[in-house]
Amino acid sequence: MIFPRCTWNHPILKPGFLRLLPVVIAFTLSLPQPLRAVEIPYPFVSGFERFVRPGDLSIERGGRLLIGELGCGACHLSRPGQSAPKPGPRLDAAGRRLQHRWLARYLADPAATDPGTTMPDVLHGLKANEKVPTIEALVAFLSTRREAFPPLKSTASKPIAPRFWDKGDRERGRVLFHQVGCVACHEPASDYRTTPKPASELEKLLRQLDPEELKELGLDAAARPFASVPHGDLPAKFPREALAHFLLNPESVRPAGRMPSLKLDPAESADLVAYLRPASPSPAAPAPPARELVERGRGLFVSLQCANCHSGGVGIKATRFARRFEQLNPKAIGSCLGNPSDRQPRYRIDKFQRKALTAAMLKPALPVAVSLEQDFLTMNCYACHVRNRKGGVGPRRRVYFETAGHVDLGDEGRLPPPLDGVGRKLKTGWLSKVLDGTGDVRPYMLARMPRFPAHTGVAIPKKLLSADRKTVTTVAGIFGNLKNLPAAGRTLTDRGCVQCHPIRGERLPGVVGIDLAGTTERIQPDWMREFLFDPAGRKTRTRMPTFFPKGKSNSPDVLQGNVDRQLAALWAYMADIGRQPLPEKIVRNRVDNYELVPKKRPLLLRTFMQQVGQHAIAVGFPEKIHFAFDARGGTIVQAWRGRFLDAHATWFNRFIPPAAPLGVDIIGLPGGLIVSPLQNGGDPWPTADAPATLYRFRGFRLDKAGVPTFLYSVGDLQIQDRLEPQRNRGLRRRLTITTAAAADPDRPTAWVRAHLGKTLKPRGRREYVNEAGLAVSIPGDLTGAARLLNDKQQSEWRIPLVITRSKTLEIVYRW
Amino acid sequence: MVITRLIRNLVASTAVLATLATSSRAADERDYYRLVSIITSKAPTGSRAKFWKPPPKDLVLEVSGMAVLDDKRLAVTIRKGEVWFLGGVYDDPPGSLTYKRFAHALHEPLGLLKHGDGFYTAQRTELTKLRDIDGDDVADEYLSIANGWGVTGNYHEYAYGPKLGRDGNLWLTLNIGMGFKGDQRTRMVRNKGLGVAQARWRGWGVKITPQGKLIPVCAGMRSPSGLGANRAGDMFYTDQQGNWVGTNSLHHMRSGAFFHHPEALASMDLPGSPLRNITEIPNGLPFPEAARRLPALKPPAVWFPYKKVGQSATDIVLDNSRGRFGPFDGQLFVGEFTLASISRVFLEKIDGQYQGACFPFREGMASAVIRLAQGTDGSLFAGLSNRGWSSLGTASYGLQRLVWSGKMPFEIKELRARPDGFELVLTKPVDSSTAADTSSFAVNSYTYTYHATYGSNEILKKDLVIQSATVSADGYRIRLKIDGLRQMYVHEIHAPGLRSRDGLPLLHPAGYYTLNRIPRAR
Repeated sequence: MIFPRCTWNHPILKPGFLRLLPVVIAFTLSLPQPLRAVEIPYPFVSGFERFVRPGDLSIERGGRLLIGELGCGACHLSRPGQSAPKPGPRLDAAGRRLQHRWLARYLADPAATDPGTTMPDVLHGLKANEKVPTIEALVAFLSTRREAFPPLKSTASKPIAPRFWDKGDRERGRVLFHQVGCVACHEPASDYRTTPKPASELEKLLRQLDPEELKELGLDAAARPFASVPHGDLPAKFPREALAHFLLNPESVRPAGRMPSLKLDPAESADLVAYLRPASPSPAAPAPPARELVERGRGLFVSLQCANCHSGGVGIKATRFARRFEQLNPKAIGSCLGNPSDRQPRYRIDKFQRKALTAAMLKPALPVAVSLEQDFLTMNCYACHVRNRKGGVGPRRRVYFETAGHVDLGDEGRLPPPLDGVGRKLKTGWLSKVLDGTGDVRPYMLARMPRFPAHTGVAIPKKLLSADRKTVTTVAGIFGNLKNLPAAGRTLTDRGCVQCHPIRGERLPGVVGIDLAGTTERIQPDWMREFLFDPAGRKTRTRMPTFFPKGKSNSPDVLQGNVDRQLAALWAYMADIGRQPLPEKIVRNRVDNYELVPKKRPLLLRTFMQQVGQHAIAVGFPEKIHFAFDARGGTIVQAWRGRFLDAHATWFNRFIPPAAPLGVDIIGLPGGLIVSPLQNGGDPWPTADAPATLYRFRGFRLDKAGVPTFLYSVGDLQIQDRLEPQRNRGLRRRLTITTAAAADPDRPTAWVRAHLGKTLKPRGRREYVNEAGLAVSIPGDLTGAARLLNDKQQSEWRIPLVITRSKTLEIVYRW
Repeated sequence: MVITRLIRNLVASTAVLATLATSSRAADERDYYRLVSIITSKAPTGSRAKFWKPPPKDLVLEVSGMAVLDDKRLAVTIRKGEVWFLGGVYDDPPGSLTYKRFAHALHEPLGLLKHGDGFYTAQRTELTKLRDIDGDDVADEYLSIANGWGVTGNYHEYAYGPKLGRDGNLWLTLNIGMGFKGDQRTRMVRNKGLGVAQARWRGWGVKITPQGKLIPVCAGMRSPSGLGANRAGDMFYTDQQGNWVGTNSLHHMRSGAFFHHPEALASMDLPGSPLRNITEIPNGLPFPEAARRLPALKPPAVWFPYKKVGQSATDIVLDNSRGRFGPFDGQLFVGEFTLASISRVFLEKIDGQYQGACFPFREGMASAVIRLAQGTDGSLFAGLSNRGWSSLGTASYGLQRLVWSGKMPFEIKELRARPDGFELVLTKPVDSSTAADTSSFAVNSYTYTYHATYGSNEILKKDLVIQSATVSADGYRIRLKIDGLRQMYVHEIHAPGLRSRDGLPLLHPAGYYTLNRIPRAR
């Protein structure tokens, strides 16, 4: 009987409190309700509930799981090999992270406050008049545990909104909760609707069979729904900021990693907070507690053995332990297993859990494979992955696993992959990256592979390797000599792989598969060979088709149809994919998107070009003859044939590398200005550094056909400069020169420098060719006055023009 | 005792809850200014990705310039180098947009102005006038109006503008280059004395006369991605935190002013420069001290304290709507890149020089706000693109429109300097008891370090004592008498306890005043 022990002067029973009671109750009722109250009267351990209770795993195995998950070893030290105790949450920042009110309630009755918790009640033996001050001291102590939240720096590349935890969007949070993987363990909202998906073969099968048939086929486990991990009353427990930081990095609070990180960014974390913990005021932090009280709490934290499971900050160390694990007697009348004494913790385990614990105690250490299974159970890998016919997302949760953009990739596109034989398939280094959260290769899958604590990234890959891989292989052993094979591999990749797989981020339209870059760093050569040869044989129900039907290649023209060599070629190409050219179809697709291909009208691109400079205006013609104008120097710098330019870098690359002609027959046109006023025909031609007053670019006009006419002035000459293809071979340049000055018929108004070269050789009466092979011809009526100037460096072909108002002449370039 | 405290907390929270129940929804920017998404990219792309690509088949509406055409259409430049006429941009909810390409093959145009018989845009290498001669709404003429600034090929050498100033001059700002590579250095000018090099007129604000003459006006800009005139026609630009720039800032562009970044002085001795004889740049001093040592160094009209009011200021637009965009007629709005938001600026002239205050205004845009323009109905168009940097938001680019709901927000409309403190002008009458209570307010001041390092902390910070708070009879004005005002320091005025007569707290409870000059008592 507890009541008589109560002293009447206890504050809880003072008249003031009673007066407030209705307010308190009303307030409590007005609090936002958790998503779904799941009443679980006993400690909830996922693997135990899902596999042990229904009988898939032995009760002894279950007990072993509980020994770790309930933290037995934290007080009952044991030899290695016994299930390591799950560490409790770090409490170094409890003062910031937990609402004090909730903490007090939780300490008073953990299981009632946070149903399913694995924390025992360590205060159950205290009398009521001891319990309240004990809780008060513990809360006071914990309120001083105020380690700062991990700093998040808002940078230009990863901006974070100020007070990001308050900036979430509830609906986005709701979608995230149901999409990224939270619901693999936690309870989905009953009113959340997912996109309907066609049932997979397995689903159809499961629906058709009755329970007995399911059992006979060994499918009963796959058909059975499993319970959700409860997460308690989040609004009561956490301030928003704390929940946001926790979701960003659960391991920083819960080192056990049972709640892994879903690799959220701060905005996503805020969205989840908005959903899980709608805005409600957090009570103001109470005044700092008295020092004495804090010290008392600190003492209790150690003496009550809280410190055995929880880190409580610098200088707090567990000093009290119970009897060693090996010396425990599961049949004792009073123990943690039942009827605990006042000083023993009280676990709310049920009969079945008690039976399991009893069965498991004092058993020898486990073999590797079993201990791998134990890892899968404790880390709840089974929540998402199937291995050895165990686990997977289960029938009730399948609907929440979706493919980005609802592309139909079947179950492979939405469900986490099965892990049968994964230790043989994947390289351990890659497995470590996957567990470390940096090995994502399925961008189309909305559920995320979480990041697990570092120790799992070491232990699990090793165990998978030793469980699954029987033989060690080498690339040479599997494929032989790879020399000279990548080209054939590229052809084969082009015929098949690119239809579904991007390569180095480049893809055919609509393709969303796994990028083939990095394949050979991830996958073991023997597995890859088997998979390429017979995809369905390695992976049941895969969407990957075979390219070797009945063991024969469907590309008999490549490597004489030799299957071994073709498989080796595919590996060789993928292994060297960083340096190899992309498959032809992808190249062509890229052309379609970013290569400028003039079809009916000319195309222009203002850009940077290596030879032309920063003021380049490139003009491409459907006739596949192109040129580039330097607006700064007033010069047609170069011309070429074939393909024009790729605009991707100009349009979208932050560092705007210069564009380069894609075509062939690239030729330099005579440099410098084409027209200049000169005092004497033999004067040096103005250089590019001539005063800016001489030359001025004035823009261009596009005519109906889209051909530009460049406008510029040289001195007081106004020039219109227009180039067009000449019979698909060369360029015809039409210059119209206008001047306002009165003409002197005896003195040329301007000179045209038609050609330039180290050497100029005549070809016919109207044409000269330079050493680069550029031929320039001028109208016949001007040849008479034209002059050839030679000096040591170069030859120039100059034409004097007498311009009364305006003069037009045509020059033709051929090369 | 814990339990009593628990109960006390419970009761307190109930009270808080009761207050918030009536006010928490009201204290939301969205209630006053509604965001209409006209078009946003389907999915965000890693904005710094090496092979950045838009979603296939998308018009890549990375809006980099805007010109309001009429009450249906808006002309925009996009960063890949095109000008589009968009129809139906005022539809609410957005209906079917119409698209018409007006011009193409421009080199990263970063502004658009309809002026006279054409459109003006600054490309990387020149100011261009686009004109449709034959009336088919497609430009046939791309006239080069002005050039002459250096272009080394460095990616950061953006040219922004133009904006129309007084006398028909078109104003541009020229970003300095950063992280030069290869032969880019061969295209620079140098000032040996100061040891600085940049391409010609880089880090300068220039104006182009109607005759096409380029006149360098002022120097020392780092990343002047936005410029705009106030109602008087004076031109301002924003700069972005970085080396020599303690935090984002707003500057009045006037002849001979030097703002902060010394590399711009590489062009100091070129013909046409209004600056001369700067021989030494102080480095590592508090800004007020640096300005005393170097008289050419002019303080910004407004500092935007980092993160408190944005993280990367961009375009400037005048609210010229005469009240159709809410209570801020005549004030300036400033785009914000990283935080995808918009800030607000109040300016006043003290001793002939502009100074004033900034305030957060509206957050939650879909991507970085790089351009702003006011529509014919007073609403603000926000042109978005975060490529190359990063921003909050759900998209890589797009166009949104911010519409005033007609509901009056409770805001500090104006924050004015007084010889002995500040005057707050509110948008709604205040509750006198909270307004006359000095504990409703908190004031502190600080400045920044002028140095070659990236950004600056707030330094020499001081909390100031408020002597008195006096409310005007109409309840719209509060005079705060404050001890220890410091010239050239930013003064933060917080009013968390202030309530309007209808019981609301301020939507944004702080203003940030750059007190370059303390007005003299009359």
